[in-house]
Amino acid sequence: MFSVYAFQEFSLMAPKPQRLHRIAETALQSPGKRPRTMATAESSPMKDAFTKYADYLNELNDKRERVVKASRDVTINSKKVIFQVHRMSKSNREEVLEKAEKDLAAVTEQYVARLVKELAGTDFWKLRRAYSPGVQEYVEAATLCKFCKTGTLLNLDEINAALLPLTDPPVEPLQINVLDYLLGLSDLTGELMRLAIGRISDGELEFAEKICRFVREIYRELTLLAPDMDDSHEMKTKMETMLQSVVKIENACFSVRVRGSEYIPLLGSDVPNYSFLGVSDLE
Amino acid sequence: MEEGEARAPPSPSSTLEKQFDDFRHRLDESGSLRERIRGVAMEIESVTRLMHSSLLLVHQSRPVPEVLEKAKAQIGMLKELFHRLAEILRECPGQYYRYHGDWKSETQTVVSVLAFMHWLETGSLLMHAEAEEKLGLNNSEFGLDIEEYLIGICFMSNELPRYVVNQVTAGDYDCPRKVLKFLTELHAAFRMLNLRNDFLRKKFDGMKYDLRRVEEVYYDVKIRGLAANGDSMGDQGIQGES
Repeated sequence: MFSVYAFQEFSLMAPKPQRLHRIAETALQSPGKRPRTMATAESSPMKDAFTKYADYLNELNDKRERVVKASRDVTINSKKVIFQVHRMSKSNREEVLEKAEKDLAAVTEQYVARLVKELAGTDFWKLRRAYSPGVQEYVEAATLCKFCKTGTLLNLDEINAALLPLTDPPVEPLQINVLDYLLGLSDLTGELMRLAIGRISDGELEFAEKICRFVREIYRELTLLAPDMDDSHEMKTKMETMLQSVVKIENACFSVRVRGSEYIPLLGSDVPNYSFLGVSDLE
Repeated sequence: MEEGEARAPPSPSSTLEKQFDDFRHRLDESGSLRERIRGVAMEIESVTRLMHSSLLLVHQSRPVPEVLEKAKAQIGMLKELFHRLAEILRECPGQYYRYHGDWKSETQTVVSVLAFMHWLETGSLLMHAEAEEKLGLNNSEFGLDIEEYLIGICFMSNELPRYVVNQVTAGDYDCPRKVLKFLTELHAAFRMLNLRNDFLRKKFDGMKYDLRRVEEVYYDVKIRGLAANGDSMGDQGIQGES
């Protein structure tokens, strides 16, 4: 009777994430009364207690594995959205972006929803390391789409608002935290760098310059925040990469500005030619 | 390309800035919360160090009750510190595991010290629920994480070989048998856990060296006929386990 009670207690407590660490303890309060699964002479208080600890660890590890898998799916499919955005060119921009947005919506409804479901009732912070990569990639894809469409930054609140419908009311909804959002943003600049270079070779210099201003702005804001982030080490390396991206875009814009007139015929051509931009080390 | 318009045009940067200002505000808050947590954690650490150092007298064959009394005097302080930690965490509900890293190694040491004391006193393992109770956390939203508890227990096991060696030196030849029985049972209990490749796993892997060392001491004592013959404590089967 007591072990049944313990499991009920578990499902009851599930929506209260911060109590996850107490599961085994609740079960523990009834030592000796649980049916002896290993009814041998070895049964002892210590063994009984460790059975509870083992249950707790198994439960936690299984959950973590499922979250990791769900997160990986979010990553893969968010990457596809990003690739779709990169297929953009002067002529097909509208339709490419439309498809990207549709794909992104599918990612949200299908894969992010599954991640949300897996995390339901868990401590979001405890499993953060398991789902953080997927969430970051998703932030990256969503902000990239939004920027290409409107030239503005998609706010964290807007993303989180989009996640709300994925959860049924009684369960605490997953909200992306500031840290993952910022980490996702810092990856965004890498993608924008690729995009800017591509746009320049396609002759869309203005768009490239718009990207340049946007990325600069983000970099500037992030320099203020990076040292205050929880695990500032990860952010630090990202900031270095980010600066490189910013500089690459700036150099590319500079090259076109300075030598642009000589190359104008080239800019209109279909053949991408990166070499004159001085960014042969693009990848 | 013709006319330079290098200066920033009116951009939607005001909303952008607003968001980042808000983030900075939030991160500042969590930063100062973290500082307060670290402050308490440091106090916990220094109290634990005091307790540990008084427990070390046990290796110099001071009587156990006397040693325990000194260490026990500090438990009230620990309780109070953990209460303060819980109070701070109450300000950010649901974020226990966000800040968890800031007190976890201190907590592991606390568990190891408490468990060692408990073992000296009773000869049995301090259970998770008992550890929480000792720290006044049993009815609190703020609990003792089970993995931290288990790591603390592993730390305690590291203390035992030294204890056995010194006890034997001081003439207590029955000690290795008791410790061996306890450690064997503890090691078997740990083997019931499916561990990931993490810190706990590493600590558990180290436990077998403690076990082996105690076995060696027991063997040394036994083969010279120094060990009290028989099961004075009423526990059978100890010979078979070594």
